[in-house]
Amino acid sequence: MSVRRLAPYGVAVGGVLAITGAIGVITSLASVSGLSALYLLLVLWLGARWGRGPAVAGSVAAFLLYDFFFVPPVGTFSVRGPAELIELAVLLAVALVTSQLAASLRRERASAEAIASDVRALYELSTAMLRAQDVAPALGMVTERAKALAPVERFAIVAADGSELAGDPLSAEELKQAKWVYDNGRAVGVAMKDGAVAPMRVHGATDPLGYLPLSSGVAVMQLSGADDRVLGALIGLADLLLDRRRAAQESERVRGLEASDRLKTAILSSLSHELKSPIATLRAGLTALIAPQAGMGAEQRELMTDMDHQAARLDRMVSDLLALSRLEAGVALDVEPHSFADLVGTSVRQMSSELNGHDVSIHIPEDLPDVEVDEGQVGRVLANLLENAVEWSQKGGAIEVGAAARDGRLEVWVENEGPAITPTDLDRVFDSFYTRRAKGTGLGLAIVKRVVEAHGGRVSAENRRRGPRFTFTLPLAPTRVTT
Amino acid sequence: MSGRVLVVDDEVEMQRALRAGLKYHDFDVRAVGSGEEAVREAAVWRPDVILLDLGLPGMDGFTTLKSLRPTTRAAVIVVSVMPGEKDKVRALDAGADDYVVKPFGTDELVARIRAVLRRQANLREGEPVIKCGDLEIDLARRLVSVDGTAVHLTPTEYELLRYLGLHAGKPVTHTTLLRQVWGEYAVGDRYNTRYVVAQIRKKLGDDPANPRFILNEPGVGYRLFCLGQ
Repeated sequence: MSVRRLAPYGVAVGGVLAITGAIGVITSLASVSGLSALYLLLVLWLGARWGRGPAVAGSVAAFLLYDFFFVPPVGTFSVRGPAELIELAVLLAVALVTSQLAASLRRERASAEAIASDVRALYELSTAMLRAQDVAPALGMVTERAKALAPVERFAIVAADGSELAGDPLSAEELKQAKWVYDNGRAVGVAMKDGAVAPMRVHGATDPLGYLPLSSGVAVMQLSGADDRVLGALIGLADLLLDRRRAAQESERVRGLEASDRLKTAILSSLSHELKSPIATLRAGLTALIAPQAGMGAEQRELMTDMDHQAARLDRMVSDLLALSRLEAGVALDVEPHSFADLVGTSVRQMSSELNGHDVSIHIPEDLPDVEVDEGQVGRVLANLLENAVEWSQKGGAIEVGAAARDGRLEVWVENEGPAITPTDLDRVFDSFYTRRAKGTGLGLAIVKRVVEAHGGRVSAENRRRGPRFTFTLPLAPTRVTT
Repeated sequence: MSGRVLVVDDEVEMQRALRAGLKYHDFDVRAVGSGEEAVREAAVWRPDVILLDLGLPGMDGFTTLKSLRPTTRAAVIVVSVMPGEKDKVRALDAGADDYVVKPFGTDELVARIRAVLRRQANLREGEPVIKCGDLEIDLARRLVSVDGTAVHLTPTEYELLRYLGLHAGKPVTHTTLLRQVWGEYAVGDRYNTRYVVAQIRKKLGDDPANPRFILNEPGVGYRLFCLGQ
């Protein structure tokens, strides 16, 4: 035993000797009884200061010395009668109880101080953590604090993807184990209950490490004993930090996507401007000359009209190419609930000059639920299918557009009276740049397929008795309550 | 002469083509190449219609539109290559009367110009009854009828139809309709206008797949279409 640890006992014995001397002096001057209570003051102080050991030692020393010097027969440890015996017993009992009480008081104060200091440390840590701009240094602070705890031998934080973020270095095998723990959401070697962490020894397990899955990562630790709640609180903080890290990464990714979408849109719109401006001038000039007032002969006007039709075709091809590259570039859809009848009405009206002379019939039930689609893109799908139908039918031929809700989706078909599609073409009509006749661009139906698939739908082509039918599906809108 | 048309386009070839084409249809045409010139020319020459290209160098189309609006009563038709829906809405909300997508044929352009001119003439007359084909909106008595049969509309439906009627032939944006019908600080979205329009169409017997009266302008809003206008 070191001198440091023996010192309180020395103080106890010395104190008892001093009090014995003081009692001796007082009793020699005057007859005062009950002075043995003076020892109790000392025992109380010893208990509060150093705990139970020195207080008990003081109690026993006081008992012996009081017996020797003041209890008759004086000068011996023997006791004369039952009254003296009781006096001594009371002294010892009171001294022991006092020492016990004082010691437990001291223990409680010590543990209250420890809790207060833990709370203060956690508070300082969490405010520092919240102030930190980056998650990495804050995680470093948490792991440092955890490693300073008595039962913690090793401590580390691992991200959801299995990469280590802070703390003691881990081996590749340990990181793999951490990833497994995260993916399966099962703790290994440790348990967390009521906010406290405790090691759990699995029979036959050789790995002393414990793995605790968090919402966006894993806490890896080696413990030599159960923890008071500080480690649990630290792990909670680490969990919050990991969440913050994931949210930051997510918003970074979304920002990147938006920027690339904007760039693609800007490039495509500048490209369309460059390609379409010359066509615009061409068409404005040609159609100006077609007017009778321009004074051209019938032959020249016919020539101009042909040229204008070719320019208009070129314009459609450029539109198709741009639409296809927009789809390929993956520019996001702008989906909203729409009445499908409205979309068909708009497309038919916009195509009215092309459809002129054809017998167009529309079969859309009145109570059809809304579809959730990108209006412009689906308008293009309908326009392309109508254009295809016009191209493959005789003047005056029937074109039918129909829609019905089936299996939670909208099924739409466009059918025309005309020659059947050959079996080889049937498989390939939706391919890019595949065309059934020299005049086509091979893009119209490819765009139909892309747009429909971007909406999560399917396209198909088949031959009906009257002629070819193209079918596609679109998602229905969730029902909305109107006020 | 059927009217004065000011062409605003930075491309000389386009100016030349439009000047010729519109002249053959009896319009008096002048052409300028920038927004600044357009504002000046509009104040001095007082055109009836301004064809404004949105892709101007320097002062852009939207700024030009805003500078034109307080000083001129001319109808403005915005012209643009592949305008996005947002551009159309922005132009209409900034006071444009219609938009035309480049490339276009002269016939189509002439039809649009005549339509806005007719609309202006009708507005100036200030008729108490709006007639739109078989549809009649009696503004004084708040009565709506189709083929002479009275149609009962709720106040919201009436307000929306009235606003479309007052601007018959012109595309009206969802935002404008929301403000006009539900008030300046209306909270809502296109779903509200779509819902009310669907109700009106049902009552007017207007099939959305083959509309007679209310036309959908994709991504923009609605237009009341009047046969013979």
